[in-house]
Amino acid sequence: MSSPHASPRPGALSVRRLFSPGLLFALPFLVLFAVFLLWPLGQGLWMSLTDRALSAHAPSFIGVGNFTEAFQDAEMWKALWHTVLFTLISTVPLVVVALGMALLVHTGLPGQWVWRLAFFAPYLLPVGVVSLLWIWLYQPDLGLYNHLLDKLGLDGVAWLSDESVALWAIALTTLWWTVGFNFLLYLAALQSIPDHLYEAAAIDGAGAWRRLFSITLPSLSRITVVITVLQLLASLKVFDQVYLLTKGGPNNSTRPVVEYIYDVGFTGYRLGYASAISYIFFALVVLASAAQFAVLRRREK
Amino acid sequence: MTGTPAPVGRPALTRRRALTAALAAGTSVLGAGALSGCGSALAADDSTVRLWDLFSGADGGLLNDMVRKARPDMPGTRIERTVLEWGTPYYTKLAMSSAGGRGPDVAVLHMSRLAGYAPTGLVDPWDLDLLAEYGVRREDFTDAVWSPTQYEGQTYALPLDTHPFIVFFHPEPVKKAGLLTKDGTLDADAFSSPDKFLAAGKELAKASGKQGISFGYVTDTAQGWRLFYGLYKQTGGVFKVPPGGPAEVDVDRMAEVIAFMAKLVDGKVNPKRLDYAAGMASFNNRQTAMILSGEWELGTFRGADKNVGAAPFPTVFGTPAVYADSHSFVLPHHPDPDAAHRRRTHRAVAALLKAGQIWGTAGHIPAYGPVTRTKEYAALLPQAHYKVAADHVVLDPAAWFAGAGSDFQNAMSQVLQQALLDGLAPDRAARAMVRRLNTFLAKPSPA
Repeated sequence: MSSPHASPRPGALSVRRLFSPGLLFALPFLVLFAVFLLWPLGQGLWMSLTDRALSAHAPSFIGVGNFTEAFQDAEMWKALWHTVLFTLISTVPLVVVALGMALLVHTGLPGQWVWRLAFFAPYLLPVGVVSLLWIWLYQPDLGLYNHLLDKLGLDGVAWLSDESVALWAIALTTLWWTVGFNFLLYLAALQSIPDHLYEAAAIDGAGAWRRLFSITLPSLSRITVVITVLQLLASLKVFDQVYLLTKGGPNNSTRPVVEYIYDVGFTGYRLGYASAISYIFFALVVLASAAQFAVLRRREK
Repeated sequence: MTGTPAPVGRPALTRRRALTAALAAGTSVLGAGALSGCGSALAADDSTVRLWDLFSGADGGLLNDMVRKARPDMPGTRIERTVLEWGTPYYTKLAMSSAGGRGPDVAVLHMSRLAGYAPTGLVDPWDLDLLAEYGVRREDFTDAVWSPTQYEGQTYALPLDTHPFIVFFHPEPVKKAGLLTKDGTLDADAFSSPDKFLAAGKELAKASGKQGISFGYVTDTAQGWRLFYGLYKQTGGVFKVPPGGPAEVDVDRMAEVIAFMAKLVDGKVNPKRLDYAAGMASFNNRQTAMILSGEWELGTFRGADKNVGAAPFPTVFGTPAVYADSHSFVLPHHPDPDAAHRRRTHRAVAALLKAGQIWGTAGHIPAYGPVTRTKEYAALLPQAHYKVAADHVVLDPAAWFAGAGSDFQNAMSQVLQQALLDGLAPDRAARAMVRRLNTFLAKPSPA
């Protein structure tokens, strides 16, 4: 910003350089950003290097002790794995199903607004409502799903109390709850594909499938990347629906790493150790983001 | 930063400055408002003793009655209750407020959690001389109840009650099965060994026409551990938890107890897969004749059967022991407590303890001896029938990670559920429990 209209007074110039108008506009945000994000980040990092606990005693510096403990903590790795597994089994259907729903609606199901509303409505519910609702749906004896299975002559499933099923049940709940948002993004993208492409293709004799694979899907690639990135980040921070549905059980088989951090810090009172684990998780998220960024850059080229 | 505006003259800059200044001023006003809001919430006038507790429902109503009854004993003092939901978050809130020195004047704490509170400095000790002035002395409590209140020679908790894990029964089927003594109490001899206990279950199932004994534990975070630990202590086995570990336990005896528990919930004589609520429902609907339950459910059971009977948990493995916990009063840590206000708090708590008769009607055994020695209390049935349970209470092992609402109880209950529900072999379950216990012990204490 070397200004050609530099003020004759050098003092005023340096002040102007320091406080450029852009900076002044960003200042309110920067203040909040620093107070509520940067400072806690630094504070958390410092805490992870101490044995700070919820106690009246002063914490002492223990170096990387918390980190070495965490790397040997089987429970932490288990919880991290649950988070990663949940991210995988929730992101794929959340993208694919949303695309399917958007295509169905866009290709002209009758009663468009009903479908749009029905697909999007669950997203508007708070997590508490969703979880309480699904706890009833999953009830082994009285719940809807086991009732339906029973009608079909199948055995009931212990949806939330069977270790091999519970995480999938939570992913299913999440799918129902949040797929509407991705659906909406896809629908908007579909509506912005210019009609003349389809007309030209139809004149050239392309059938419906051909148009889908050669025009629709390629035009959606950009929004697919956006949706996948948003979804990965949303799934990685899973906590609330798990906490409300199973409290991480049975036998900790659904406990995601964020709940482990909560358990260690707030029910185990070891804030320093909990901070260390959250920084390890932070590193994982940064890695995931960096990988995405690298892939995107290659695609751009 | 495309479209950077050309530098502008002074007037525009002052306008921007003015805007920024206004914004900054606005922010600071907002911030100050929020902070002063916190401040006023913390402030309390001198005559008010602020109490945090976790009693809602029927218990909460009774505590209100106690506060009313205690009023003449503490002239000029008002107790202000804050009722928080029972569970793990309660202890998070209490610990956080105490660590910051901004806790209430007095709070209710499960005695089993004291090991995580006294050594960490989250609670302050009681002044026994002061309490004696208001008529509450060491001799008023049984040894079993008093000893867990001590840490490094000081008293950190004042027990309000003992709430043991006992048995409730419907008198008619139990009588029909021939398991009642002449005076209407449970025939403890008929339950005095694992085989006898299981046989008695069969008799009860016959008498009830459906099933014998309910025990709700599936997906529960404590029930399995409550039953297990009481029974294990009956075997006389050691359960030592030295800081850093490893734990000193008797794995064979643990396996023996787990095997007994698994036989008990066999799915034929007694129901197999009951969660807490279903266990209560099956007993209330008379699907079963007996239930293994905490006495705090007395009110619910009496609602379904006004004659419901109760007895201390039978001695199945030789040594009398009853799993229990105790609601107690603690003084959350204050960096510089006001002496007059502390005195007021001592007086208020002493007054509450003396009003314990009301507390007894809920089913809890009042810890303050002079209350349970009254005729009035002896007339409370079935409470008087299980009063003796207070003499043999077993609390959780004294470790910072154990106690009511802890991750530890949950972890133990999860392993037990695998043994009871999914057929994990008792000896493997016992070893899994020890492994988990050692993991807890290996973690450094927050103290």
